[in-house]
Amino acid sequence: MELKRLKFIDKSFVFAWALLMALGLVVLFSASSGMASDSYFYVKKQLAAIFIGLLLAFFIMQYDYTQFSRYSWILYGIAVVMLLAVLVLGQEVRGTTGWISIGPLPPVQPAEFTKVLVILAFADFINRRKSELHSLKGIMLCLLYIGVPFGLIMLQPDLGTGLVYIAFTLVMLLIAGANPRIIWTLVLGALTAAFIMIWMHFQFGTWLPLEDYQIKRLLAFIDPYNDGQGGRGFGWNTIQSLIAIGSGGLTGKGLFNGTQVQLNFLPEHHTDFIYAVIGEELGFIGAAIVIILYGVLILRSVYISYSARDLYGTLVVAGISAMWLFHVFENIGMSIGIMPITGIPLPFVSYGGSSMLTNIVAVGLILSVNIRGKKIVF
Amino acid sequence: MDKSTSLVVRKRIATLFFLFTLVFFLLLLRIFWVQFVKGAELAEKAMQNRMRDIPVEAKRGIIYDRNGHELAISVSVDSIYAIPAEVKSSHREREIADKLARVLAMDEEKVYNRITSNTSFVWIKRQVDPETTKKLREMDLPGIGFTEESRRFYPKGSLASHVLGISGIDNTGLEGIDYYYNDLVGGTKGRIIIEHDAANRPIPEATHKYIPPQDGANLILTIDETIQYIVERELDKVFKERKAKAAAVIVMDPHTGEILAMASRPTFDPNNYNDYPSSNRRNFAINDVYEPGSTMKIITAAMALEEGVVSPQRKFFCPGYVKVGRETIGCSNRKAHGSQTFAEVVANSCNVGFVEVGLEIGLDRYYKYINNFGFGKPTGIDLPGEAKGILVPRERAMQIDLATMSIGQANAVTPLQLITAVSAVANGGNLMQPHLVKSIIDKDGKVIKKVEPKVVRKVISPETARELCLILEGVVQNGTGKNAYIEGYKVAGKTGTAQKISPTGGYLPNEYVASFIGFAPADNPRLSCIVVVDAPQGYPYYGGWVAAPVFREIMKDALRYLEVPLYKAEEDNNARIEKVVVPDIVNLPLGEAIGIITSRGLNAKVIGTGNVVWKQAPKAQTKVDKGTQIIVYLSSLPADKGEGEITVPDLEGKSMREVAKILSDLGLHLMPEGYGLAYEQSPEPGKIVTAGSTIKVKFQPVGE
Repeated sequence: MELKRLKFIDKSFVFAWALLMALGLVVLFSASSGMASDSYFYVKKQLAAIFIGLLLAFFIMQYDYTQFSRYSWILYGIAVVMLLAVLVLGQEVRGTTGWISIGPLPPVQPAEFTKVLVILAFADFINRRKSELHSLKGIMLCLLYIGVPFGLIMLQPDLGTGLVYIAFTLVMLLIAGANPRIIWTLVLGALTAAFIMIWMHFQFGTWLPLEDYQIKRLLAFIDPYNDGQGGRGFGWNTIQSLIAIGSGGLTGKGLFNGTQVQLNFLPEHHTDFIYAVIGEELGFIGAAIVIILYGVLILRSVYISYSARDLYGTLVVAGISAMWLFHVFENIGMSIGIMPITGIPLPFVSYGGSSMLTNIVAVGLILSVNIRGKKIVF
Repeated sequence: MDKSTSLVVRKRIATLFFLFTLVFFLLLLRIFWVQFVKGAELAEKAMQNRMRDIPVEAKRGIIYDRNGHELAISVSVDSIYAIPAEVKSSHREREIADKLARVLAMDEEKVYNRITSNTSFVWIKRQVDPETTKKLREMDLPGIGFTEESRRFYPKGSLASHVLGISGIDNTGLEGIDYYYNDLVGGTKGRIIIEHDAANRPIPEATHKYIPPQDGANLILTIDETIQYIVERELDKVFKERKAKAAAVIVMDPHTGEILAMASRPTFDPNNYNDYPSSNRRNFAINDVYEPGSTMKIITAAMALEEGVVSPQRKFFCPGYVKVGRETIGCSNRKAHGSQTFAEVVANSCNVGFVEVGLEIGLDRYYKYINNFGFGKPTGIDLPGEAKGILVPRERAMQIDLATMSIGQANAVTPLQLITAVSAVANGGNLMQPHLVKSIIDKDGKVIKKVEPKVVRKVISPETARELCLILEGVVQNGTGKNAYIEGYKVAGKTGTAQKISPTGGYLPNEYVASFIGFAPADNPRLSCIVVVDAPQGYPYYGGWVAAPVFREIMKDALRYLEVPLYKAEEDNNARIEKVVVPDIVNLPLGEAIGIITSRGLNAKVIGTGNVVWKQAPKAQTKVDKGTQIIVYLSSLPADKGEGEITVPDLEGKSMREVAKILSDLGLHLMPEGYGLAYEQSPEPGKIVTAGSTIKVKFQPVGE
C-alpha cells in the first residue's frame, strides 16, 4: 500500500481542515439546538455525513488519482445523468428544483456532487487538449464541454452552483495555459452581454433566463433597505445578517446567546447564513479565525496544486481550490453584504450532507495528489 | 522537471496564489469594518429587533388658575390590551374573545380578530371604567393585560374652554393651552419593554423592563377663575339675549399683559367636545378678525396726540359728513356734531373729526404707529392659531384708505390685538406681551419657569397716555360710553359699532359688530377689558348699548372682587356721609313714623292720603346714606287694600340707579329707556299697580 506516502501529507492543510470541521460542528450545534425537539438532531445528521465522507476520502486518498483520468467520460456521464434526473424527478424547493430522493435514502443535492465529478473529468479534458488552448476554437471546445452540465444546473435554476462552475472553469483553463487574452475577452463579453440583457429586460421586457424576483433578490444586497418593503422583503436576509455580525463585536455574544440567531431573526442560520452565527456569537475573533483557516486550507491547496506530480493533478487541485474559494467568498460575502444572496453553503461548516460529503471527498482527492506530489525546495 | 509543471503553469499558479490571498484580505477587512466601525449601530438595531414596547402614558400636568384653582386635571383610567401571541398560545382564543366581548359590550368577532391579529401588541379598549376592568382582572385571561392611562378632565366644564383647549384619547393636547404646552404638560411616555423573537412571541424569562412615565409639568395660568366666571356669565347673558353670531371678552392686566379672563361664544364643553360643532371651538378672541370700528379711534387719537397733530382743546367743526376725494364719509346717522374740541370729538366718536385728524397724521406716520401698536402681526400669545389681522397694504394705501382706517374701517384686527394696544395706552405707553401662563411648576411644586411681564416696545409717551386716559374717561362720563359708567370708579373706554363686511364685497346692511373697550380705574388702571359682540339681533345694535353694559357688569364685579378702592370725588369728601339703617315704620301712625325717620337723620316724603303707613321705601333694615328720602305710603284703609297692590312712585329727576332701587324695593320692574335722569314714566305716579308690574321710565341726559 501507499500508506508510507502519508509522511508527505501537508500537515497545515489537514490541521486547518480538521479545525474548520470541529468549529463548524460547534457552531452548527449552537445554531440548530433550538430548531428541533432533539437539540442534537442536526449535529447528528451532519456527523453521519462526515463519517461517510471520511470513509470515502480515506479510500480516495489511497487510490492513485491518475486512475480517475481513465474514467473521465463515465464521471462526466454520471454528472450529466444526475443533473438530468434532478430536472425530471427533482422536488421544487423555493422556486428551484435541486433536491432528489431515491428510495429510503435522505434527499440529496446532485449539483453538489457533480462539482467534483466535473472537475475530475474537465481536468482530464483540458490535459489532453492543452496544446489547443491558445486558440479560440480549443477554448470554445472546453466551454462546450462544461456548458452541458452548467446549462443543466442553470435550468434548475441554481445560480450559485452555476457561478462555482464558472469560477473553477476559468481558473483551470488559465492554469492549463489558455490564452489569457481570449479568456478575458470572453469574460468581459459575457459580463457585458449579461448587463445589457438585464437592462433590456427592465427597459423593454425582453426575455431573461431568470425570474424577476430572482434578479431583485440578487441586487437587494446593494441597498437592502430599499427592497420595496422597507427591508422586510429581499433585503431582510442581508440586513439581519449584517446586524448579527455587526452586533457581535470583538468577542461575540457567546455560543447559544446570539439574539439574532436564537430568536430567529436570521433566516437559514444553520445553512447559508452560518457565518453570521459565527460573527454574532464568536465575534471578530471567531470570524477572523474562520477566514484565516480557510486561507490556510485554500492557499495550501494552491501549493499542493503547484507541487503536483502532473498537470492532471495540478488541475484537479486547482479546480477544487477555486471551487472552495468561490464558495467561501460568496457565502461570507453575502453574510457581510458585499455579495448577492445566492444559496451556496460554507464548506465544512454549513449544515448539509451533500455539500459535506462532496467537500470531504474533495479533501481526499487533494490529499491523494498531495502525497503523490514532489517535494519542491525553493 | 515534469513537463506538466511548465513555467507557464507555475507562473499562473503563483498569480492565483496572490489573487486568492487578496480575496481573504478583502474579507477580513470587511469583517473588521462591519464589526468595529458599524458595530455599535448594528448592535442597536439588534436591540430594536427584539424589543417590543408597550406604552405607559404619562399623566398630563394640572392646569391651575392664578390662585391655584384646578382648571384641567388628569384622571386615571384603565386601558385593556392583548398580546396576541400569548392569547394564541393559550388556545382559548374563542373563549377569551367571548368573555371580553360580553364584559366590554363589544362585537365578539371584532374582539376575536383583534386578539389574534399578527402584531405583538394591540389595544382592545381604552379608557374603561374601573369596575369593568376589575371584572376582567378577576377572570385572569391569558394574554390580556391592563395599563393605567390618564384622561384629561376639565372640572369646570366650559369655563375658559377656548383657553384650555381639548385633549385627545392618546393623552395629547389638541387645542388651546393643552396643545401649545403639550411638550411640557404631556410629560414623557413610559414603556414596558418585552423581548420578542422574530415571530413576535415574547420570550419567557427574557428581558422585561419597566421604564416609568414622567408626569407632565403643571401650569399656573394668568387666568383668574372668578373673573373668568364673571366674564362667562355676562357673555352668556348678552349672547343669549341678543342672539349674536359670536362674541368675545378679554380681561387683561394692562401693566403686565397677563390675561385674567378670555372667553368666546359660541362655546363648548371640552370634556365632551364631540357633542358640539367643531366651529364652536374657534376662539373668536384670537382666531378671528373683525373691523374694529370706532374703538380703533383710540389708536388714531394716541398717535395724533403723540405726534402733536392735535391737542385735547383743539376745535373741530362737524357738519355731519366729510368729503375725501370723491368719497363722502359721514357721522352716524349723518348727525352734525357742530363745533367741538378734540376731547368732544372722541367722546362723540365723531367720524368727521377723526378723518380730519387721520389725514393730518399722514400715511407714513399712521403705518408706523399701527405697526408699533402690534396690528397686522400676531401678538405672540401662548395659544395656537392666532390670526395676524389684515391691514391695507402700505404700498396700496390711498388717502381714502387713511381716512377710513382712522375711524377703524378697512383694517381688521383680533380682539386680543386691540386690547393689547389699548392696554399700552392704559399703562403709560408700553406695549406688553400678552400671555396666559404665569409659571410652570413640576409635580413637586418646584418652579421650572416663571414668566415675567415683557415690554414689546414703547409706543407712546406717558404724557400722551395720561392725556388720552382723561379724554377716554370723558367718553364714559358724558359721551357714547355712558352705559359703561360704574359708580365709584373712573372708567375710560370707547365704543365701537362697525358694519360687517359682506363676503361678496361691500358692507352688510343689517349686520354690525358692537364692541366696547376700556379700562379702570382710569388714573391707575387695574383691568382693561374688551367686549365684542358679532351681529347682535334687534335694536339698538350700537356698541354703547350692546357691549358697554356687558363691560360695566364685568368690570364692576371684577373690580370689587379685586378690592380695588372706590374713587372718592372731592365734592363727596367734605360730606363724609354716614350710613343709617332704615327703620321699620309700616303700620305706624304717620306722625310717629315721621318722628322716627327724622330722628335718624333721614327725610320723609309722604305719598297718598290717610294716617297709617301702609308701605315704605326703601325697606326696613336697608342701609342708606344719611339724608336719604324715605317714601312713606299712606292708606286710609290699610287692611282692605288688595294685597300686592302698589302705588307707583314719582320718579322724576332721579338717576337710573335710584329709580332702579326704588322700584325694586317696591317689587316693581324697571324698563329703562335712554340715559341720564328720569323725565317721563308710565304708569304715572299715584297709579295703583300690582306687584311685579313693569314701569317704563324714560331718561334724558342732563342739559339736553
